[in-house]
Amino acid sequence: MIQLKTMLNCIDNSGAAVVECVNVLKKKRPATVGDRIVVVVQKQRNFGPDSSNNVGIANKVRRGDIRHAVVVRAKKEMQRPDGSLVKFDDNACVLVNKSGDPIGTRMNGVVATELRGRQWSKILSLAPMHV
Amino acid sequence: MASSSPILRQLGCFRSLLKPQPQPQPLLQSPLNRRALSTVYSTRPTPKPLPENLPEQFIKQLPLHLRPKDPKVRRPIPPPPPSPCTKCKDPVAAVEEAQLAVLDPTGERRALFDYRRSPRSVKPGDIVRVTFKNGDPFNGVCLSIRLRGLDTSFLLRNHLTRVGVEMAIKVYSPNVESVEIVQRAQKRKRRARLFYMRDPKHDMGTVENIVTNYIRQKRALSGKKRAPVKGRK
Repeated sequence: MIQLKTMLNCIDNSGAAVVECVNVLKKKRPATVGDRIVVVVQKQRNFGPDSSNNVGIANKVRRGDIRHAVVVRAKKEMQRPDGSLVKFDDNACVLVNKSGDPIGTRMNGVVATELRGRQWSKILSLAPMHV
Repeated sequence: MASSSPILRQLGCFRSLLKPQPQPQPLLQSPLNRRALSTVYSTRPTPKPLPENLPEQFIKQLPLHLRPKDPKVRRPIPPPPPSPCTKCKDPVAAVEEAQLAVLDPTGERRALFDYRRSPRSVKPGDIVRVTFKNGDPFNGVCLSIRLRGLDTSFLLRNHLTRVGVEMAIKVYSPNVESVEIVQRAQKRKRRARLFYMRDPKHDMGTVENIVTNYIRQKRALSGKKRAPVKGRK
């Protein structure tokens, strides 16, 4: 149930920590896992020691940037084809560019397997774990 | 005139008050005022009995509802078709039973989750490991068991990469390969649904280490059994 004004965690190393949803693409309903949304970066991740090593990664996005993102976790439970439900404790997304490739190179955190059915296998392969 | 006319109008009003009120008249005296002539109430005409000894051909000409009823002639009423209720009292239960026989022929799953009947079943608070047909496992604390016949499901909660994940799994789903109880709850929970465990105060956190311990123990136990098999090869 991600819609206008929803705050999401950004779980990749693109430099965004918290983003706000401003639009759900290709859908007239709230977004869920696998949906593409437009977000505004609200909080930047300060990489600390990392930022000095590879500034390029840390500065990929800035606060106030408008980017596309893919929802990878949702609080609202989603139903699998066999009737089982999966839900997460937070809403999370991964920033992607216009062509659909992830901006970050690494991800931290579990993602839902539903991404596979939506042609987001690249994100799924980046993720350390999927449910 | 302009100023006097409203006064006059008021006076006219008074005049109308002073007029003798028309006396309420009985209805029948002035039917024209109240009703059209066609709707004047009249009692229902009593049906005239048919003349006696009417010839047969005249009776046949009468419409059906006016003919004298012959008590001897009765239309044969066919017996009602057999109700499906008598054949199968509870079709939903029958279908469910048939489905259960297919999905859970040994009744093992049913015993594992029917916590009201079987004492060795999964109970809320237990740590459960589920393996799916496609190979991925899911471990978690059982928060609730929803007994609904074929739709029986249980809710598992765990933390994966520090994010809470909940999964409600259908007990009789053909996707479920196996369900194991990793650890029983230390104390019997006083609630049937442990949704309070979603709160940070009561959250158990991850159960992965308990499950990995269990798997290691299990492997150690079954390793002895496996050893001779390997020896043969």
